[in-house]
Amino acid sequence: MNTRLLRLNQKIRDGSTIFVSCGYILSIFYALLIIIPLYFVIVSAFKNNAQIITTPLALPSTLDFKKFIQAQENVNLLRALLISTGVTIGAELVTLLIAFPAAYAVARIQTRLSTVVEAIFSLGFLIPGLAILMPIYLMTAKAGLLYHPVALVILYPAFNLPLSMILLTSFMRKLPRELEESAVMDGGNVLQIIIYIFLPICTPGIITVMVLNFINMWNEYLFALILMDSNNRTIQLATALLRSSQRSIDYGLIAAGVVISLIPVYVAFMLFQEKIMSGMLAGAVKE
Amino acid sequence: MTTLGNAIPRERKILSNADYHRRLARKRRVTFLLLVLPALVWFLAFMLWPLLNMFFISTKQWDGLALPQKFIFLDNFARFLNDKNLGVAIRNTGIHLLVGIPGVVPFAFMLGFFLSLRKPGYRLLRTIFFSPSMISVAALAMIFLGLYRPDGMLNSFLNTIGLSSLNRVWLANKSTALGAIIAIDIWSGIGFYGVLFFAALSSISEELYEAAQLDGAGYWTMMWKIAFPLMLDFFGVIIILQFLYILSGAAQNVILLTGGGPGTATLTLGYYLYNQAFLTQRLGYSQAIAVLIFFVGIAVILLIRRITSRLSNW
Repeated sequence: MNTRLLRLNQKIRDGSTIFVSCGYILSIFYALLIIIPLYFVIVSAFKNNAQIITTPLALPSTLDFKKFIQAQENVNLLRALLISTGVTIGAELVTLLIAFPAAYAVARIQTRLSTVVEAIFSLGFLIPGLAILMPIYLMTAKAGLLYHPVALVILYPAFNLPLSMILLTSFMRKLPRELEESAVMDGGNVLQIIIYIFLPICTPGIITVMVLNFINMWNEYLFALILMDSNNRTIQLATALLRSSQRSIDYGLIAAGVVISLIPVYVAFMLFQEKIMSGMLAGAVKE
Repeated sequence: MTTLGNAIPRERKILSNADYHRRLARKRRVTFLLLVLPALVWFLAFMLWPLLNMFFISTKQWDGLALPQKFIFLDNFARFLNDKNLGVAIRNTGIHLLVGIPGVVPFAFMLGFFLSLRKPGYRLLRTIFFSPSMISVAALAMIFLGLYRPDGMLNSFLNTIGLSSLNRVWLANKSTALGAIIAIDIWSGIGFYGVLFFAALSSISEELYEAAQLDGAGYWTMMWKIAFPLMLDFFGVIIILQFLYILSGAAQNVILLTGGGPGTATLTLGYYLYNQAFLTQRLGYSQAIAVLIFFVGIAVILLIRRITSRLSNW
């Protein structure tokens, strides 16, 4: 009896070892598949074209910043960075300004309307970006904002409202009831409650929302492609344009653009990894 | 005397109390609306209004921004039947779905389960697996351009391992272009959804696994007999996300890399919509395709919801 149990245990342990080893092998294989292309792009940005083709994975012999300078000359990366930064900051502020009070109302004011409002915002997940691309193009043209970065500052908050609302309301629902009760007794009005009590307490939730929105807004390509022109390129447009800025493909040039466009997002990723993952999970589940 | 004296003020008090509460409720509703209004207006104006416009425009014959529009009701949809390119687009999107969902979701689940065992190094692996999701479509397409172009990394790798006969012009070859586009989504999708599965699997209690272990179950059994049934709803969520992405978002890779070509090899439904709207400028027709995509998306969401809820109740 005892030996049978032991043997069974042994068998399970063997099976588990095989499972875990296979897991490691496949995971590491996949990890390499991810790392190698990323590594390839980073080193390509510092090499000349002959080196990129003959020794794609070798480390660059010297740190050559020529491609960055050339990329700047070809598509004005710095201006694109400036526009992307401006658009992102503007759109982040607008999103927060409109989403925060709305999330407070939905989460903390008891009325039947809040389910209706929540349902309306969750419709946003069903609307494919491509489907409203042309109508939005026409609207923007009619408003005289075509080729103007302000158009993106206005539009990006709308695209990011559903996720922002979900994350902020679920954060606020977890806070205790007593929070605003004491403030009401002291004679505070709603705006005061929102600004002086909820804004500071919700900082962790706000950071999650702002980081996710930053990634979405910084990385957005489709609407920028349609709504901006050569004078007002976002960094994504400039990066993609590097492909056709030379008569033949100059991959080092493209790689330099890619590296520049990735840096801000990867910094955010390294700093807020947990928040990004949990935020995206919450967004996926609530959808 | 005492009862009477008490009764009157109490009744008055109850009345005014109800009144007070009603007024409070009204005030609460007004406050609610004032706070919600800016976000609601923003959302209605820039999401729902364009969506309504999609329907309006889809009923028009409108072949160029500067050209006149004509109301033709459902004729654009009738044109679907004679549109060969639409057939090709549906076929290509079908292939993309058939490869891009089974090629991602089960592997993501297994990856997520492996990560959830929290063996040494799982944090680093998780970071690596998630990192492609941080890359914008534009940058991702440019990275893959470096792999796929004729003297790119993929061909040079094949040369090094002595398989130069497999060299292809991946994006310009009719038989490989669509596969090359789909591969990008698989490459980043497994890691992204894998980490989401990992996070979702963390909610399963240790006790369930321990009980199974006492019954002699190994990890493989635990993965499919315990974790999988508990994750059915989440499978539904992931399949919906991936489905919607392939239907619409994935078109950006086609815009960036192949423009639907060579020929119509990478002409997908999403790209066809973009092409008709902005390149061919058949505005009305493009929005009819948008309506098609929108309803296919909704139908599939409802279908998958129904399937997963039925399976979970089993």
